Amino acid sequence: MSLLGSIVRKVRRSKRVKLALLLAPPLAFLAIWFYAPFIITGLYSLDMITRAREIVFTPSLKYYERILGWRGGLTIMLRSLYFGALTTVICLLLSYPLAYYISFKVKKHKDVLIVLFIIPFWVSFLLRTYAFMTLLDERSFINNILLSLGLIRQPIQLLYTDVAVITVMVYDYMLFMVLPLYANLEKLDKSLLEASSTLGAGPVSTFLRVTLPLSMPGILAGSLLVFIPAVGEFVVPELVGGPNNFMIGNLIYQIFLGARHWWIGSALSILFIALILVLAIIYLKKVGSVGLSF
Amino acid sequence: MKKTNLFLMIFTVLVFIFLYAPIVIMVIFSFNEAKSLGVFTAFSLRWYEKIFTNTEVWIALYNSVWVGAVVTAVSIVLGMMMALAVTRFNFVGKPILDALILIPIIIPEITEALSLLVMYVFLNIPLGPLTVIIGHAAFDVAFVTVVLRARMAGYDRTVEEAARTLGANELQTFFRITLPVMYPAILAAGLLAFTLSFDDLIKTLFTTGPGFKTLPLIVWSSAARGGVSPDLNALSTFAISISLLFAVFRIRAEKKMRGV
Repeated sequence: MSLLGSIVRKVRRSKRVKLALLLAPPLAFLAIWFYAPFIITGLYSLDMITRAREIVFTPSLKYYERILGWRGGLTIMLRSLYFGALTTVICLLLSYPLAYYISFKVKKHKDVLIVLFIIPFWVSFLLRTYAFMTLLDERSFINNILLSLGLIRQPIQLLYTDVAVITVMVYDYMLFMVLPLYANLEKLDKSLLEASSTLGAGPVSTFLRVTLPLSMPGILAGSLLVFIPAVGEFVVPELVGGPNNFMIGNLIYQIFLGARHWWIGSALSILFIALILVLAIIYLKKVGSVGLSF
Repeated sequence: MKKTNLFLMIFTVLVFIFLYAPIVIMVIFSFNEAKSLGVFTAFSLRWYEKIFTNTEVWIALYNSVWVGAVVTAVSIVLGMMMALAVTRFNFVGKPILDALILIPIIIPEITEALSLLVMYVFLNIPLGPLTVIIGHAAFDVAFVTVVLRARMAGYDRTVEEAARTLGANELQTFFRITLPVMYPAILAAGLLAFTLSFDDLIKTLFTTGPGFKTLPLIVWSSAARGGVSPDLNALSTFAISISLLFAVFRIRAEKKMRGV
């Protein structure tokens, strides 16, 4: 009994045992339900799982080769990168003046303005996307106003176009640009701007040579936080894009559930995840993990 | 200088209009008497009547709520364990653990959802509520860990030490000191987990079984099938009011969390 007692006491005191007890359940959960699926996908992509769902140990890169030699797929991948980049640039162009104005020009109730900015983003992603569809629809209120003002002769169909996909992505992701930009501008040492103008620089050159370079970390953080999810967007092109506005997320979905070709679908997923991880590593190296905790 | 300020102000106002207009217009037209999406004829609740007499909507709401509750409970317990391990112990491989927690937040949900589906099918796991719950929890755990860890980093442990000195054992200390002190943070993390689950579309879409639908799935399928319609406006307005309610609770909890 005393031996057992001393073992129990030792276990209780041992930090290692406690740590293991704390870490084992969440890590096992993540390993099984988050990481293992990617391993299975990886096995599929290397042609190591057969149609009969048996694992074979003869890896092959043939599906990766097929993807890289497939023009249609490459077009969609390039389009995703292009849409992602365009969304990021437009977000930046809309967000910078807004963040700058609130941070530098507004004296009272800054916090209220930021909360007012955030409120629309409390609405879920899907519902925000749907809300925008009501504006883009050809029977919409906007079309009616334009028609009655005589600005257009017939209703314009904005839904199911590139413009719709990009506009809605900007609408959905702007939050991720404004928040890091605003945080960065708020931290910026304003006495440097005074110094610059005391030394004779005009407002334009102060902005270009002091403010803008100092806000680069915010710009980079916001850009990656918008670009990473935008490239992988699935819902927006599916709802407001037509068959010619597909992005990589839609392609992967089509290959998995439409064509049911799990091997190619897996290889495409793995390639895409690799790209995202590279971008994420750049983000973490340059910005740190600050912007990701919200 | 004056001109620039005026320009910036107008620009900011326009961006705010851009952000609010779609939601406000959708809400207004959900109360429209006519089926028209372009002309507001008269105030009416007929579209709300239509959705609230639809049992499919009530079942979906019920599903969303109970799935969200289970996901929240699982994520809080697992996330709390992870956050305690990360903030209270020093061990080799901590950076690796940090990366393992960050990856679920970064990876595009579509690839994650499809991979999970591939594994479910590979292992012959029947799809249904359970597979949806697991799918939601698999990434909610990461979010909860991040929120709790941020709070615990600034946690004053002298109170715990005092409790131990006064004779409380480790479990007593945890339940009577640590948990009450952490309560606002747990509430904030829990509301975040619930919101993520309640609003989730992609994970649910790919991991659900036949007949098991949540609220976002109903919105998704009718928006993808028929585009914009007045009853969908009403349903979305209803869903938005729930989201906003939870957001208000969450912000209050977060304020409290920072305040303590």
